[in-house]
Amino acid sequence: MSLEILKLSRGVEGLFIKNSRFNTTLISYNFYLPLQKDTVASNALLPFILTSCSKKYPDFSRLNYKLAKLYGARLNATAEKYGDYQLLKMTISVINDKFSFDEESLVKNASQLLLNLIFEPNLVDNSFTPEDLEREKRKAIEHIKGEISEKRVFAKKRLIEEMYKNEAYGLPKCGTIEDVQKITGESLYNTWKNMLESAFVRVQVVGKKVPEGFFEDIAERFSKIKRKNITKCTESAPTTPIKTPQNITDNMDVAQGKLCLGFSSEIYGNDDTSLAVMVMTDIFGGGPYSRLFSNVREKLSLCYYCSASAIRQKGLITVESGIETENCEKAEKEILNQLSIVKKGKFTDFEFESSIKSITDSLNSYNDSQNSIDLWYAIKINNKKLYSPEDIAKKISKITREDVINAAKGVKLHTVYKLLPKEASK
Amino acid sequence: MKKEFFENEIGEAYVKATLDNGLKIFILEKPQYKSAYALFGTKYGSIDTIFNVDGKETAVPEGIAHFLEHKLFESEDGDAFTKFAKTGAYANAFTSFDKTCYLFSCSDRFYENLDILLSFVQSPYFTKETVEKEQGIIGQEIRMYDDSPGWRVMFNMLMAMYHNHPVRIDIAGTVESIAKIDYELLFDCYNTFYNPSNMFICIAGNVDTDACLEQIEKSIKPSETKEIIRIKPEEPYEVVKHYTEQSLEVAQPMFCFGLKDEFSENSLSVKERIIMALLLNLISGDASPLYKELINKGLINDEFDSEHFCGDGYSALIFEGESSDPKAVAEEIKKEIERLKTEGIDKKLFSAIRASMYGSAIRLFNNVESIAMHLTDCAMNDTGLFDELKYLKSVTLEEVSRKLKSLDTENTVLSVINPKN
Repeated sequence: MSLEILKLSRGVEGLFIKNSRFNTTLISYNFYLPLQKDTVASNALLPFILTSCSKKYPDFSRLNYKLAKLYGARLNATAEKYGDYQLLKMTISVINDKFSFDEESLVKNASQLLLNLIFEPNLVDNSFTPEDLEREKRKAIEHIKGEISEKRVFAKKRLIEEMYKNEAYGLPKCGTIEDVQKITGESLYNTWKNMLESAFVRVQVVGKKVPEGFFEDIAERFSKIKRKNITKCTESAPTTPIKTPQNITDNMDVAQGKLCLGFSSEIYGNDDTSLAVMVMTDIFGGGPYSRLFSNVREKLSLCYYCSASAIRQKGLITVESGIETENCEKAEKEILNQLSIVKKGKFTDFEFESSIKSITDSLNSYNDSQNSIDLWYAIKINNKKLYSPEDIAKKISKITREDVINAAKGVKLHTVYKLLPKEASK
Repeated sequence: MKKEFFENEIGEAYVKATLDNGLKIFILEKPQYKSAYALFGTKYGSIDTIFNVDGKETAVPEGIAHFLEHKLFESEDGDAFTKFAKTGAYANAFTSFDKTCYLFSCSDRFYENLDILLSFVQSPYFTKETVEKEQGIIGQEIRMYDDSPGWRVMFNMLMAMYHNHPVRIDIAGTVESIAKIDYELLFDCYNTFYNPSNMFICIAGNVDTDACLEQIEKSIKPSETKEIIRIKPEEPYEVVKHYTEQSLEVAQPMFCFGLKDEFSENSLSVKERIIMALLLNLISGDASPLYKELINKGLINDEFDSEHFCGDGYSALIFEGESSDPKAVAEEIKKEIERLKTEGIDKKLFSAIRASMYGSAIRLFNNVESIAMHLTDCAMNDTGLFDELKYLKSVTLEEVSRKLKSLDTENTVLSVINPKN
């Protein structure tokens, strides 16, 4: 199945991902903007405020009532970092028309609703209203504060902050509390205008068919906007290797410690250049067959969890583990030892083959999940081709042991981050 | 083997088969999908701490069902993870209050994977050494949960709500209780609860029902049916205490507010559960007046959620989230329930919420994992997969109002996790 990208306007793409197995249709708007200190918080607030109310539904409670009446249509908003870009994502998912007891088309209704939310917010004199703004700012601030509660997520966030101190990628994905506090109704209005004018946009439909006139309506909306300075979603800057790895420790009143390691990888980028890194990271710390799971966790019992993952577009590999303080040094040494085993090519054929099989098996399941398939294509923005999960599975199965060893060679320790119980502070 | 076939108007169909030894098998085919999900489970969870088999009563340490789950992955010829690694399947297991399940999902080599699943769950293998080693690993897992405010706020609430019902105990047990687990106890529990008559297999996805049934029938070891009598201590109507708190490293207070429902001897029917779910949405769902007020007063954020928590001998409405003032949230919820009792339920909101739940019930058929999990509920409660869709069409506002009137806003617990310092 080859997919065709429609050009709806300058830097605005439409994509229909035909998939008839689901009872629902999913529509997603993906806005890409550069990740920058002065705009990160304000950009991140947009998908949330836009999906909470609109000109037609100024009261969020009325909007939620409308969604319930559309047989529980689900509106979702996220703001994530994608390499050196910010991806603002708004989706709606609704059950297909054939299940409805009503005359009207649910899919058409839901798609119109999301279009209206994005293009016709609840504005007064070129400004978001104080009530809407304060509500969303409060939620955003509480969300940022709340990150401390899940220590596993918090530790990884701290590692990234320390690794990219003076770079865009080190910014928290929703900005800081101070950044959020500075947002005003007028400034957010300008952020919204800027998003419509300059973001690279991909609008996707996953389902049986595209609602009638859907892409035409979007093209029509964008035709009224002066599109300029459009985000060029080219390659993100790779992670700069460090001469002497940094050691950072935070202390908190916790029972169990967290140990996170960050590495720079010489091989980085998109699916055309960096698939070997995916396999290498998986052998190192992916499934239960991986070096980290079977040795550091199972054989040596040094931690309850220990796994590795890669952000390939940044050339970043991270290891996360939960440890008892007394095992911290031992665990760190053992994690690095496992990496050097991979570098030397001393991983077993079993580990290599298990990894290839696990990755390809999971890629071949992608089309069975509407959200996964939407996200898959939403972030395929700078490859040579619009690869399907099956295309990548085929490429993965051709990766050799030598490719893996080669990918591991350029992996260098950058930062060791520890979150330890208070009494253990040195 | 006894075989029953079920289908409904949304175009889904499944088979329920019961083997002579009592094992129940549920299979829903999804030929247009690439993947499949299979789960082998036993009605054995953390609440099964006292039981009677053949006139012999046994009390076991807390956390043993979960411990057994960890151990079952090991077999004499290597662990199950290694076997699944050879096929590329994703494998996992979990223990809840009332069940233990082993599962895999894959897009290739399904029958090989099914074979691995059937074989390792039926081949317990543990030694004194491996049991001791596992005590260390699970000890670390328990300590990890000690740092999880979301987990603690819930169990602190359950401990304040239930006097004796074992649902008040952490699923993994405590470091002290798991220290009492040994090799013999594990075998006793295995032999009691991993009997086919107490077990079920649920499969959804790209599979052939007859091929699955044939393979399962061949590989299930012969066994005698056992009757297990689960002994539940008497549980008083009232909660233990109305308020409980703990301090952890969190930025703002977290809360879990529970309303203890009247006790019923048997687990609730599908219809009763639908009524409770409707009620929860009417009280505090995101289209409700209360939700609007709590958001506008700055008392809750997007973390706010509610659930109907129920199982064998327990039922409660639970509201949880983060708030600068958990006591105010609890008061508002109580006030709203009382208001609804006197003023009645908004008819328009009722029908919108019913439509929304109907949509969710259709949505669940999108995903092989969610289908398999719902088949698990069918196996546990002896219900049908399409019951929910059926009752959602017929449930009335009067039935929901009747249940609303029985809610006792005096019989509640507020559990709070406060920030340190």
